[in-house]
Amino acid sequence: MTCAKVLCQECATQWDGIWHCAACLASRRGATVQRAPILGWVLVIAASLLILFCSARVMVWTGALLAGLS
Amino acid sequence: MIRAPLSITAVLDESAELVRATAARWAGLLLLTSLPYYFLQAVFLDRILELGAKATEYGNLLRSTAYLTVLAFLLSLWGRAVYARACRLAATRGEAVGREALRVPGPALVNYIYVASLCALIGWLTFFTVFGPLLAVMVAGLAVGTMELNERPGLREPFRILTGYGRVVRIQVALVFVFLVGFLVALTNIMAAFQIGFWLLSSIGGWDIPKWSLLLSGSNRRFVLMLLAGGVLAIQPFWVAANVMLIRKAGAQETGDDLRVWFEELKRT
Repeated sequence: MTCAKVLCQECATQWDGIWHCAACLASRRGATVQRAPILGWVLVIAASLLILFCSARVMVWTGALLAGLS
Repeated sequence: MIRAPLSITAVLDESAELVRATAARWAGLLLLTSLPYYFLQAVFLDRILELGAKATEYGNLLRSTAYLTVLAFLLSLWGRAVYARACRLAATRGEAVGREALRVPGPALVNYIYVASLCALIGWLTFFTVFGPLLAVMVAGLAVGTMELNERPGLREPFRILTGYGRVVRIQVALVFVFLVGFLVALTNIMAAFQIGFWLLSSIGGWDIPKWSLLLSGSNRRFVLMLLAGGVLAIQPFWVAANVMLIRKAGAQETGDDLRVWFEELKRT
């Protein structure tokens, strides 16, 4: 609990694995929801596409190496 | 659904129930979306083995197959994400899940695609070490289990969550070995199913039996590759469910939810 009050289990509510009292929950609910930054989206998508492209190239490279061995 | 403490047997036992609860719709979707990926992987390996030492002269052919495989891989990742969500919802509610399984949160999906792609890349890069692909499979398994814990997209976020579950590595290693055995059992079953089918059909007649006995034998490379793909496909729903259950049980142990459920069950009895 963020306010560190002592409460019985009936008066506390669990949210994201942490116990909160009614007042703490209300303040959390009232807080503005932070949206994920656009940079995060762009970075993850760009990194994924780059990795997938590299995966295809590495797949061919490994395959050619494997074929050379057989 | 969390009944037993965190252990390999408890994870396997409860994940089998999850597969039963999600089998009707979501395991089917998982298999359908994964089918093109494993099929194309088998085709790629078949071409490699067919070309042999000449493979380096057929770069364009191999590259086009590899790009198609990567596209199919993206589709299979979406299928796995939906199935993992269905498992998580079924584990929470203890009943079959409806269309809400399709609503995979965007940050969770992109972070999962990012980690799984990285694992695929590492798997191919370290293909000859044997240990590398196994490690990649382990991390990819944990990534699908922790997928829904990703609340915002980021390059470090999924790894921060993954390292938080470092204590389950021992169970994860055991899971990989159990599933390796499971893969061999699945292979034997699929092979036996083909042989039984062939034996039954051979009594009907009117078709070229000698040809089919050659096609459905271990000497046919394509048949063996398809068998391997089928074996992986058969254990996949259990693998995803086991990882979801592992992360859920580990999380419940951390928050004390497992104790709460245990006390409730004790009170009821």
